[in-house]
Amino acid sequence: MKKKVGISACSALLVLAAALGGCSSKPADTSTQANPQPKTVAQAPAKNELTLGVNGDPHSWDPIDTFLLDWSTVATSVFEGLVERTTDLKIQPGLAESWEFKDDKTLQFKLRQGVTFHNGEPFNAEAVKFTFDRLLGEEGKKGPQQANYTSIDRVEVVDEFTVNMILKEKDPVFITKLAGYGAVIVPPKYYKEKGDEYFNTHPVGTGPFKMDSYEKDNKVVLVKNENYWKQGQPKLEKVTFRFIPEATTRLAEMQTGAIDIMKKVEISQTESIKGMSDLELMQVGSPTVYSIRFNTSMKPVDNVKVREAIAYAIDADLIIETLLSGYGKRVNSFQSDMSFGYDANLPLRNYDPEKAKQLLAEAGVKEGTELDLFLPGTDATFKEVAQAIEMQLGQVGLKVKLNLVDASTFTSDLIPKGKAGHMYRNGWGGWTLDFDNTAYLMYHKGEFWNPDFHDEKVEELLKAERSTFDQEKRMAAFKELNQRLYELVPDVPLYQTINLWAANKRVKGFQPPADERIDLREVSVE
Amino acid sequence: MAAFLIRRLLHSVFVVLAITLVIFVLVRMTGDPVSIMFQAGEPTKEAITELRKNLGLDEPVYVQFGLYVKDMFTGNFGTSFRTGESVINMMNEKMGATLLLAFGGMFVALLIAIPVGIISAVYRGSVADFFGRIFSLLGISFPNFWLGIMLIIIFAVKLGWFPASGYEGLEYLVLPSVALGLILSGILARLVRSSMLEVMNQQYINTARSKGIKEWLVIIKHGLRNALIPTVTFIGLQFGTLLGGTVIIEQVFSWPGIGRMLIDAISQRDFPVIQGSVIILSFLMIFVNLLVDISYGFIDPRIRQGGGKSE
Repeated sequence: MKKKVGISACSALLVLAAALGGCSSKPADTSTQANPQPKTVAQAPAKNELTLGVNGDPHSWDPIDTFLLDWSTVATSVFEGLVERTTDLKIQPGLAESWEFKDDKTLQFKLRQGVTFHNGEPFNAEAVKFTFDRLLGEEGKKGPQQANYTSIDRVEVVDEFTVNMILKEKDPVFITKLAGYGAVIVPPKYYKEKGDEYFNTHPVGTGPFKMDSYEKDNKVVLVKNENYWKQGQPKLEKVTFRFIPEATTRLAEMQTGAIDIMKKVEISQTESIKGMSDLELMQVGSPTVYSIRFNTSMKPVDNVKVREAIAYAIDADLIIETLLSGYGKRVNSFQSDMSFGYDANLPLRNYDPEKAKQLLAEAGVKEGTELDLFLPGTDATFKEVAQAIEMQLGQVGLKVKLNLVDASTFTSDLIPKGKAGHMYRNGWGGWTLDFDNTAYLMYHKGEFWNPDFHDEKVEELLKAERSTFDQEKRMAAFKELNQRLYELVPDVPLYQTINLWAANKRVKGFQPPADERIDLREVSVE
Repeated sequence: MAAFLIRRLLHSVFVVLAITLVIFVLVRMTGDPVSIMFQAGEPTKEAITELRKNLGLDEPVYVQFGLYVKDMFTGNFGTSFRTGESVINMMNEKMGATLLLAFGGMFVALLIAIPVGIISAVYRGSVADFFGRIFSLLGISFPNFWLGIMLIIIFAVKLGWFPASGYEGLEYLVLPSVALGLILSGILARLVRSSMLEVMNQQYINTARSKGIKEWLVIIKHGLRNALIPTVTFIGLQFGTLLGGTVIIEQVFSWPGIGRMLIDAISQRDFPVIQGSVIILSFLMIFVNLLVDISYGFIDPRIRQGGGKSE
């Protein structure tokens, strides 16, 4: 208690000192220099140890419960799946060395031998079967991951290192899904012995790092898995992830040298980072795309000409250049250019207000017609984008009313019920990096997030791309689908986001991941 | 006193039930937790229905409420939709950090407000009083979010005296406590000043002075002691505000307390966690108010003798 009293007394004095010293020369000196030198940050001392500042704590490490990118940021180092996605998003063997289709519905995996879980338990076919039985059974029902793997009928053990997955239906994105969170392999014996609640906070996998300690909302410490199956990996001895929700605080920690890598740098912070000689600003394209989606059952946007006019009236290039400081990419459809199914040859609708006016006149839309635009109130960047859109549509005679609503209500209630006005912000990640996921959920009749849009041709094409494993045939279907959607304009794709990261230059071999799954195996610290 | 306590306790139970009903209904009007859980996946309608059933969300609200209240009286506040962990355990884990921060903030506030308030009152109209009042005004006007960030920039980044965020030891408590306390100290200093002014004009102060007691003893023993009654009431009332203030401060300083847990729970629509933490916090508030009432008796014996009634 004495210590606390002392510290608090000291802090009170410091505040007074700061208030008095606010106009003194020290901080002002550095900012008023005629030719300021890039500043340096305090160096973190420990070698081969890395500290990352990330924004969120997933609170549960059980892969079947989670639905958060925050989970994968950390847990990618702890758990592994049969296949894995590299930082350049290619699928490669993980815990399975190879796989082949025995027939249309039987997929056989040959498993890697000599791999052990962090608790010493062997990885084998039984572990794979246990993982999927758990995911697809009663346990899996409590979380959202089960829904991603419903195409699996059952998993059969062939021998100690061979398993067969029997599928209910053709699923061309299946292999990609196996690199997803829910499909990472968990240790059967450990799980059965320790139980669900313990496993939530003390996860065990086969990954390059073991979880050493976890303090909720504070930090998680990982240590090197000495028995990792990949020779020479990982290079780091210890990795600490600190959960710091505020971007300003994360940057402050970066500047004090308390963290080496910062996730989710904000656009407004980029200049500060560029001004620090020890820090590096890193950018990576993300699968997340934003669009303005129409409620195609509402007048006047039920008319395709009106939707097209709005697409021509929005200057997405200007929005990216000014509001996003260039950290965004134009896209021609509601998917990122990393996704299978993206057609780079599809034209963009470029800003053309005259054409917009003409289309509106043809559709009989009167000057001053009022349209609602809904967006989540917490998205400060998109609030500015929406204001720009409000102004740009105003220039072609449409009056836009912005409605800022609570983010969760917006996604979980307004959009599915078709109550998000004439237009709303639509953002989507497309985690399988295949248009299948996005296209199906957004345009297939009766889907949760598609309360109103319906087109027979679109239905046919969606069915076609799902009915074959032949990627060429699928791509052809996607091309046609993109074209059809381009003509129907259910949405105006605005931009693909670019994620910003900062790293201390003493960190070597770090590649910011597009899907937020940090691979630290090749990372080292000088 | 016993009758008073029993009456207060019964009153508290009623208040808690009312709060439970309000929070229970309100939280269900704000959106569907299940569709939020499916944002990163491929939800079929069947999967959504199935999960909603598993979480007990398919029952009518009044049935859900009845079950909840029944469980609540056995000390079960449900389990988190996100982690499956019991809400009581989650609160237990976080309560220490939040209370530590709230008390830290209160301590800083008192440490600043009492001397500032006394000096302002005793030297009324002087330069010290002027600065005291300016300080109070600044304290009231600063948004605590902004103040927190300023403290981090000055004392962690520029001067490197304290850690910017996290919770590893007592030195981590300094900046968030100051951010929390500084705001409250502004209001508190004004209150101490006005109470002191009122007390210092009383006849018994002049009597004390006329007995030849030293001036500082008059101020502390006779003046401050009597001026503390409205201050203690205020502190009690402000405790809730302080706990509320920790929500923002915990976010800024990455403090692992209830405030952050609540923000996360709200954004994920983790109903049991939102309900449980609001109800438990309201328990805490009621308890603090009870303590305030009891503490009157100790500060002013007249209240104790009168059993709370005026004679």
